[in-house]
Amino acid sequence: MKVEAIQYGDRKVYSVASFNRGVADWLSRLPTIWVEGEVTELRRNARWASVFFTLKDPTDGACLGITIARSRFDALRLDLSDGERVHVFGRPELFEAKGDFRMRALSIERFGLGDHLAALERLKKKLAAEGVFERKRPLPFMPRRVGIVTGNDAAAKRDILTTISTRFPAAQVVVAETYVQGPFAVAAMVDALREVGALPDVDVIVLARGGGSFEDLLPFSDERLVRAVAASPVPVVSAVGHEQDTPLCDLAADARASTPTAAARLVVPDAAEVLQRLDRARGALARGARSVLDRRRQRLEHAHERLRRAPALAVERKRARLEHSAGRLRALSPHATLQRGYAIVRNGDGIVRSADAVTRGDEIAVEVADGSFGARVE
Amino acid sequence: MTFEEAQRELEQIVERLERGDAGLDEAIKLWERGEELYKHCVGQLDAAQGKVEELARRAETAKPG
Repeated sequence: MKVEAIQYGDRKVYSVASFNRGVADWLSRLPTIWVEGEVTELRRNARWASVFFTLKDPTDGACLGITIARSRFDALRLDLSDGERVHVFGRPELFEAKGDFRMRALSIERFGLGDHLAALERLKKKLAAEGVFERKRPLPFMPRRVGIVTGNDAAAKRDILTTISTRFPAAQVVVAETYVQGPFAVAAMVDALREVGALPDVDVIVLARGGGSFEDLLPFSDERLVRAVAASPVPVVSAVGHEQDTPLCDLAADARASTPTAAARLVVPDAAEVLQRLDRARGALARGARSVLDRRRQRLEHAHERLRRAPALAVERKRARLEHSAGRLRALSPHATLQRGYAIVRNGDGIVRSADAVTRGDEIAVEVADGSFGARVE
Repeated sequence: MTFEEAQRELEQIVERLERGDAGLDEAIKLWERGEELYKHCVGQLDAAQGKVEELARRAETAKPG
């Protein structure tokens, strides 16, 4: 198609129509491609030759007008409604009369749950291979400040604040309210995470959102958010959706809680329990000190007991040895011999050792074991 | 003299006496020395115990709530 310009001196000027025609002509040479987005503002009228809708980027809200021949649209039997995710096959086009840029669709396919899951699975594998899910830092026992990133009217926020103030009334909390669903959610949450993480004294962040549909929770599996969670300078507790939902941010977080209340329990200790534990420790301390003293005292008393007995024992042993010697001494004295029935006979000269030493009529003294008596030799 | 040193000496004296190889005079002297060591140790234990009880009592009264 030829585009005519009017010449004013050395200036080439185009009419609107020829400008539009020129651009349209150029655009029509671009290849046909697939574009993914959400269907909004679908307009179909039986009297119109085309069906119109706007294809919206769910992550940042960018829009693209779509036209498709009504017969073609009807033949697809898609029964589309607003909010559904689709893949549109077509080429860029300029509607010359209005200068409207849009896409001329040749085909539309519904991008269903299964496709979403497959895409998530691919992303999960990719991030896992990069090690994004590997870092798990321990949560602080008693954070100086708790950062909370959550929706602006979320029951999740209320649950967390109630639980934190019940368990640990002295806790300092900073709440960043943000979009948690819709086209701006991902960017807003990424910003909020970064801002809260950079605040002084924030030692842990809770990323919370109550339950929602699969689509509602999709921002929490968005690659940008997942990476932001993994890159957080302080540990992140993810409390998104319900028990059965596992958005990818759960895997990247340092800890995962099944509910916002459970997340609150993870980030602050129970003050009453902490005090009780301290008290028990103090009791144990006193008991420990006493038991050390008791053991020493027992050992000392034992040594003392032995000391008490020792000298008596020594004296006793010496006495026994003395008695033994005395016994042997006694055994060697003549007295023992007398006890066996012998007698000592004495006359005036001394002990009589021979019969020739006495003559009849001599007075003699006879000593036996228990005494002595006089006798006359016959 | 620390508690441990006194306790050790006391136990050595007891062993010596129980072996029974000390002379009688020496045994009496050892015994006296042992009693002295015992009194020393008991005094130290009593002082320590007093401190422990005092601290425990103070901790008890400082208990919050």
